[in-house]
Amino acid sequence: MSNAFDFPGGIHPPERKQRSNQAALINAPLPGRVTLPLQQHSGQPATPCVAPGDTVKVGSVIAKREGMISSNLHASISGTVSEINATQIIIDSDGQDEWLRLPSLDWQRVEPNALLERLNESGIVGLGGAGFPTHIKARVVEQHDIHTLLINAAECEPYITADDITLRHYANDVLEGAQISAKLCGAQHIVIGIEDNKPEAIEALRQAIQNSHPITVELKVISTRYPSGGEHQLIKKLLDLTVPSGGLPADVGVLCHNPGTLLAILHAVRDGQPLVSRVVTLTGEAISQPGNRWVRLGTSVKALLEQAGLNQPMLNQVIQGGPMMGAPLLTLDTPVTKLTNCLIAATIVELPPAPEESPCIRCGECESVCPVSLLPQQLHWYARANDDAKMAHYHLFDCIECGACSYVCPSHIPLVDDYREAKSRIRLQRIETVKAEHAKHRFEFRQARLAREEAEKQARKEARKSQQRQTPTSAAASSEKVDLRGLRIAHAAAKASVKKAEKTLARVAQEDPKQPLDDLEMQLATAQENLRATEVQLTQAREQQPSKESP
Amino acid sequence: MSMMHAAQVTSANATIVPPTAHLMRWVIVATLPGIATMSYFFGLGVLSNVMLAAAFGLGLEAAILRLRNRPVQVTLNDSSALLTGVLLGVSLPPASPWWLIGVGMIAAIIVAKQLYGGLGHNPFNPAMVGYALLLVSFPTYMTLWPPPQELLPESLWAQITGTLPAGQLDGLSGATPLDAFKHKGEAVLASEFWATHPLPEDTLSAWRWVALAWLAGGVLLLAKRIISWHIPAAMLGSLVVLATLFYLSDPSHFASPLFHLLTGATLFGAFFIATDPVSAATSRRGKLLYGAGIGALIIIIRTFGGYPDAVAFAVLLMNLCVPLLDLYSVPRPTGQPKSSRGEQP
Repeated sequence: MSNAFDFPGGIHPPERKQRSNQAALINAPLPGRVTLPLQQHSGQPATPCVAPGDTVKVGSVIAKREGMISSNLHASISGTVSEINATQIIIDSDGQDEWLRLPSLDWQRVEPNALLERLNESGIVGLGGAGFPTHIKARVVEQHDIHTLLINAAECEPYITADDITLRHYANDVLEGAQISAKLCGAQHIVIGIEDNKPEAIEALRQAIQNSHPITVELKVISTRYPSGGEHQLIKKLLDLTVPSGGLPADVGVLCHNPGTLLAILHAVRDGQPLVSRVVTLTGEAISQPGNRWVRLGTSVKALLEQAGLNQPMLNQVIQGGPMMGAPLLTLDTPVTKLTNCLIAATIVELPPAPEESPCIRCGECESVCPVSLLPQQLHWYARANDDAKMAHYHLFDCIECGACSYVCPSHIPLVDDYREAKSRIRLQRIETVKAEHAKHRFEFRQARLAREEAEKQARKEARKSQQRQTPTSAAASSEKVDLRGLRIAHAAAKASVKKAEKTLARVAQEDPKQPLDDLEMQLATAQENLRATEVQLTQAREQQPSKESP
Repeated sequence: MSMMHAAQVTSANATIVPPTAHLMRWVIVATLPGIATMSYFFGLGVLSNVMLAAAFGLGLEAAILRLRNRPVQVTLNDSSALLTGVLLGVSLPPASPWWLIGVGMIAAIIVAKQLYGGLGHNPFNPAMVGYALLLVSFPTYMTLWPPPQELLPESLWAQITGTLPAGQLDGLSGATPLDAFKHKGEAVLASEFWATHPLPEDTLSAWRWVALAWLAGGVLLLAKRIISWHIPAAMLGSLVVLATLFYLSDPSHFASPLFHLLTGATLFGAFFIATDPVSAATSRRGKLLYGAGIGALIIIIRTFGGYPDAVAFAVLLMNLCVPLLDLYSVPRPTGQPKSSRGEQP
């Protein structure tokens, strides 16, 4: 047991894992048709690269990654593309299950770049829930030194047993996947964190770590407490490192992977098999054959649950993900995606609707269970008052939305819903502010350009005039004298602002090369326009008053 | 949306925090030893206070909820008005007249609680607002503590109905130990004062038994995790420390810490009044400061102020400080740099 370093708070909800961790892992029947959404990962949706009527094999690329953070998508059954629309691709099966595999790679020999490319091609994303493209995550070494690869097998949410079952069946393979990932990120340590409620998986891992090499793997069993599987919480608990607010585990030299992802990495590298299926926990009182299945991506949730013995009259709702952080499905006509780790077909008895909420009495239970040491009761108060500044003061954006506060609230207040709403509202406002700033800068640029053109035109006109005229009038001369001083000041100021804009641009570009710089470039251009306008005005004024201008 | 499920899992697990109404009811249950002990020593007037105040509480809450167009039944079920009634009832001198209780409950339920928006929105402890109002408005009635007496005093009914002639009232009352000690006079040393047997027989021990009964109720609340230890511990801690300092500086004029702990409303206040979560500071650090402030104010007011007991004023004064305490006691979330502590919005 390794509980020396602990995160604050936490709760012990009923686990309800027995229902799905008794049966062996089996393959779900091949679906006759799959629906593959173009966005099954964080970042940009993929772009289709097949047309309706094309025949595909299992593993054919059907949509390519688009932009920096995105992921490829592959056919999960062999057959014919029947429909493509803006959000998804539908494939009808030919019943053959023919595969298209990439050549096998010997990960210990090949270059890291070849491995990265393989992960990119294979459409691997984090299977723990967030779906961050794995090849992008592996490239974190470009900015950070990684010392430890952490395998997050805590699986602290009730009901879910996908990682547990994966580890029982594929402990060796998961560790090999970890070795590949460690090679990519240059980690010198591999640590597995697992809760003590999975004795069989722990035993399997104990056996497997003995022949895992080249890096020795350390197994750390922790006591069961939600949300120990939160990335930051697990890092704190196992390594006693604190990920800074708003930061990533990489900021403290750690990379986290879920066992399912590591298995997918191995399959992609060793077997040349892209991500076309995943382990899904089917559970809940409304199905008669709960357990874990290998499911092809795009399989309909409804079909899957029916095959598991869905009792439709008993069913109240289906929740995708765990009961703490998951979301209820609005319709069962929805496909399994790379992010579907668990489907709970719940009866009304096991997950009854929440009781009517009553006023907060500030009892502070929520505060004592918050794993991030926030004050949920204060956040609640200000969230309801739409007081964004106060919420920032109470660190709203450090909330990991684990739901421990909602769980213990004696007034049944859906606290996390409030926080999510407030967060998205504030995010939208920030985007709007940036947009407005941008528009303002565009306008300023246009004004500056027009002013410069006008000044140039004026200068040409004056030049022509002064050629015709012999001497300027004395009245004009005196007014020009006042202007000259003002113009010199304006010119100097314009010069300074160009320099400032150049500096800012250079600094930002250096600090974060990936950030879009067009807004800063526009500001620089505006400053340059202003400078040219004042230059023109100044030269013109000087020409008219050569005698008054001292060198 | 999804968090509703989290709340739903709750109902399957008995170890989890019970709903708000259960919390309130447990506090009421925990007052029973104190009420029983008080009734035993000071007569059934204690019980009549509690019942009258509780009835006023429910009635007034129902009336004002109707005026405010709020659901009456649901809100009454949370038992918070009942609790306010019980707490004010035990604070008043036994067998207080009905109208006194009524005025106190109007101040508590209507002014202090509902006019601020109802449960969860009141900045001040409702029962203590009622008590403080009565104390400054009707000092004669509020200082009429009878000496320990039989369970059913003869004039009980007349007292409650307010029909007892004023002349007889004085005959019924005695001083509380705090009151007596406060008015012993500068020239009298503490040892001389006690040597004169200033209180009717058994008064001191009666107050001690009552205090211990409140302590028992408080321990029950702590054991059931209805209240956290922070406020009572900080309040009693600062009270004892300050009282000890005074006592050691001049034992002949200042009361001993034990006297401060076991007489008056100290233990009752520590477990039942100061712990009202709505009007208390909210973070753990804030609660410690809040409790410590109450303890210190009690000693200061008892020693230098015009009132023999001070729990109500101490609590109300610290209620005033809660927004400030809340602002400066925000804990540092995991991952935040150390410097952001207490940062300004």
